[in-house]
Amino acid sequence: MTRHAAVRALGLTAAALGLAVGASAVAPAAAAPTGEVKIGLAAEPNTFDPHLTVGRNSQIFIVNVYDGLTARDAQGNLVPALAESWKRLNPTTWQFTLRKGVKFHNGDDFNADSVKFTLDRATNPETKATIGSELSTIARTEIVDPFTVNVVTKAPDFLLPVRLGELFGLMLSPKHTNAVGKEAIATRPNGTGPFKLVTWAKNERLVLEANEHYWRGAPKVKTITVRPILEDAARIAALQTGEVDLISPIPHVRIEELKRNSKLVIKTIPAPRIFHVTIDVRKPPFDNVKVRQALNHAVDVNAILKSLYFGYGTRLATVVDKGALGYDPSVRPYPFDPNKAKALLAEAGFPNGFETELDSFTGSIADHNKPAEAIVGYLQKAGVKVKQNVFEFSAFGPRRVANQTAPLFIYSIGNSYLEPSWVIRWLTQGGLGMHYKNARLDEMLTRIEATDDRNRRAQQYGDVQKLIKDEAPFIFLFQADSVFGMSNRIDYTPRPDETQWLYTLGLKG
Amino acid sequence: MRAYIAARLVTAVLVILGVSVVSFFLTFLTGDPAEIMLPPGATAVQIAKFRAEWGFDDPLAIQYWRFLRRAVHGDFGVSLRHGQSSLPLIAARLPATLQLTVTAMLLAIVLAVPLGVLAATHRGGKIDLIAMGVALLGQSVPNFWLAIMMILLFAVSWGVLPTSGRGGFAHVVMPAAAIAINLMALLTRLVRTTMIEVLAEDYVRTARGKGLREVFVHTRHALPNALIPLVTVVGLQFGYILGGAVVIETIFTWPGVGLFTIQAILNRDYPVVQASVFILATAVVLINLAVDLLYVWLDPRIRVA
Repeated sequence: MTRHAAVRALGLTAAALGLAVGASAVAPAAAAPTGEVKIGLAAEPNTFDPHLTVGRNSQIFIVNVYDGLTARDAQGNLVPALAESWKRLNPTTWQFTLRKGVKFHNGDDFNADSVKFTLDRATNPETKATIGSELSTIARTEIVDPFTVNVVTKAPDFLLPVRLGELFGLMLSPKHTNAVGKEAIATRPNGTGPFKLVTWAKNERLVLEANEHYWRGAPKVKTITVRPILEDAARIAALQTGEVDLISPIPHVRIEELKRNSKLVIKTIPAPRIFHVTIDVRKPPFDNVKVRQALNHAVDVNAILKSLYFGYGTRLATVVDKGALGYDPSVRPYPFDPNKAKALLAEAGFPNGFETELDSFTGSIADHNKPAEAIVGYLQKAGVKVKQNVFEFSAFGPRRVANQTAPLFIYSIGNSYLEPSWVIRWLTQGGLGMHYKNARLDEMLTRIEATDDRNRRAQQYGDVQKLIKDEAPFIFLFQADSVFGMSNRIDYTPRPDETQWLYTLGLKG
Repeated sequence: MRAYIAARLVTAVLVILGVSVVSFFLTFLTGDPAEIMLPPGATAVQIAKFRAEWGFDDPLAIQYWRFLRRAVHGDFGVSLRHGQSSLPLIAARLPATLQLTVTAMLLAIVLAVPLGVLAATHRGGKIDLIAMGVALLGQSVPNFWLAIMMILLFAVSWGVLPTSGRGGFAHVVMPAAAIAINLMALLTRLVRTTMIEVLAEDYVRTARGKGLREVFVHTRHALPNALIPLVTVVGLQFGYILGGAVVIETIFTWPGVGLFTIQAILNRDYPVVQASVFILATAVVLINLAVDLLYVWLDPRIRVA
């Protein structure tokens, strides 16, 4: 349906409804999906095979075709999806009670077989699943009855219900998957999700159509066309000319200008990507906590946010992002104080500073090089002479994996689990360039991870953040906002976990 | 003639092989796909497992031998990112790139020939000055800048052309123009120079002596001869046009080989990079061969022994 036809159909529907309800003040929303929305994105998924996705850009999009056992709501809370409930039977067994009456797009029934098939496939070495690491705790999946499964893990895994949600637990239909084969599933997915994939010409366009029998109720929009538009200027131009109704991302520098356009709505939301500079605490002088604290006082992070991100970002006191469970606003960031930095360096025995190196890179999912340049500048002012090495991201990766980075390197980690423990465990894994270890921190995290109650977990994260801040194994930086631009004919609310959830997308009027 | 073509084909195979060696080792020198392919939670063990599964932990020479053995059968391996055979993936994008580059070449020729001829026949005059000014501008303007300026002007301000993507003829205008501009400038200067040379030839004087009108002298006698060097240059420029297409396809998200290759390079998707290099190198080599043969046919003074 062309946009014109869509608008006309919408108008007719509205008129018909108006006639039907007569004098009633508020016309009820049409139940059947209508209209078309066009979207311009910087990246498209690499595949619709949930086990072979590469990068967040793929995972945050294909959820529109599939469902996980769990899902997230608009605030990022974990909510039931294909599983109606779940509980931990013992430390290593999670039991999921499945929703009844759910069908895949082709009519296949969803049941315990689907779950077992999907998880077996994901953990089978032959699948060569790219997401294998995220499901590696799974030992086996057992069918209890057609709508109950037990997932047994090798070690206690409190994050399993999150993993088996929209992140890495998208459910496949056994019959369809076996029938079409491994290559074809990439472009011919059969999920239970709110949309069906109709056509996909890579680099060109991807068309989704509403699944009218969706178990949550049919989505509002009938057809969604996604166009990859790689170049920022071209993507913004497509929004300005009305070729598309929704775009992301938008460079922060363009926000103010676009906000002045009355036909557009610009929405920003803090993305769960935590920027930080990793400090090699094994190497002197960084084994001295005063030196690490000095580095944190030396960098004016607020100024970086203002000049590089035009204020569309959040200063972080630690490596816990604002949207994460248990974020503690009472843990204040290190204030920018060059004199304090110099004093701390002098106390540590470096009144004249010292020389070191910092690695940065280009060509990754976000710009790390410009903030790195600014950080180097601030460190110089505090007397630390920093040599900056700039790599291409794919060249830096192997250096990090081989523990060959400079003592300082900028990095960012996307907290897709919205759970601090996941991020902190990753940042303190004692390898892959990250060498900070702390027995007390480990103990605190282990205690938290044994707590299934979210609220009780949240309370315990305050102490974790205090400890990390004092220990300063990183130069704590910020999280930047994700930016969405939309025409005023649509209604879309971006989600805090970056998921591009189009189910709630609607047309106005 | 047959021997000549056979010799040229052998050279072509060697060239393509050489290009593949260089591109293979260059891509490997710059990085490893493991970090890009796996989620951030991957541990050192999982990264090592991934590298072993795909054979990235073997010595480079062995990896190259494995690649070559498969490549001679037309199998460039499965794309790491797309999970599909890489050669068909690239081949499917060839029509879009050909549409773009051929349109760009035609556009450049259609603009350059009249402009060059007018400049030559009005040598030193105002038209010459304007034509050479246009050529100078065309050669010095960076095409990516021009592309974005065109989007802002023709799509955003005037709304006469679509901003990006592939669809009807309107979609190809801006990207083709952005690629054409440098070639157009080069060809304009070339046509002008050769036209000036040709106009000084004896047969042109003879034609004028016969009392032919100046228009006929230019179009019937001078122009066909002035266009012969154009064929060579256009053929040689094809490689550069493909290079330009890489940048322009990215700006306009034109779903061609260039865009796909750039993404493959950034993602260290080696099988796709190799397949693409093979196809592009083959295209350039074949077109150069075709141009040389065409040249022989066009200019009877050249004969292959």
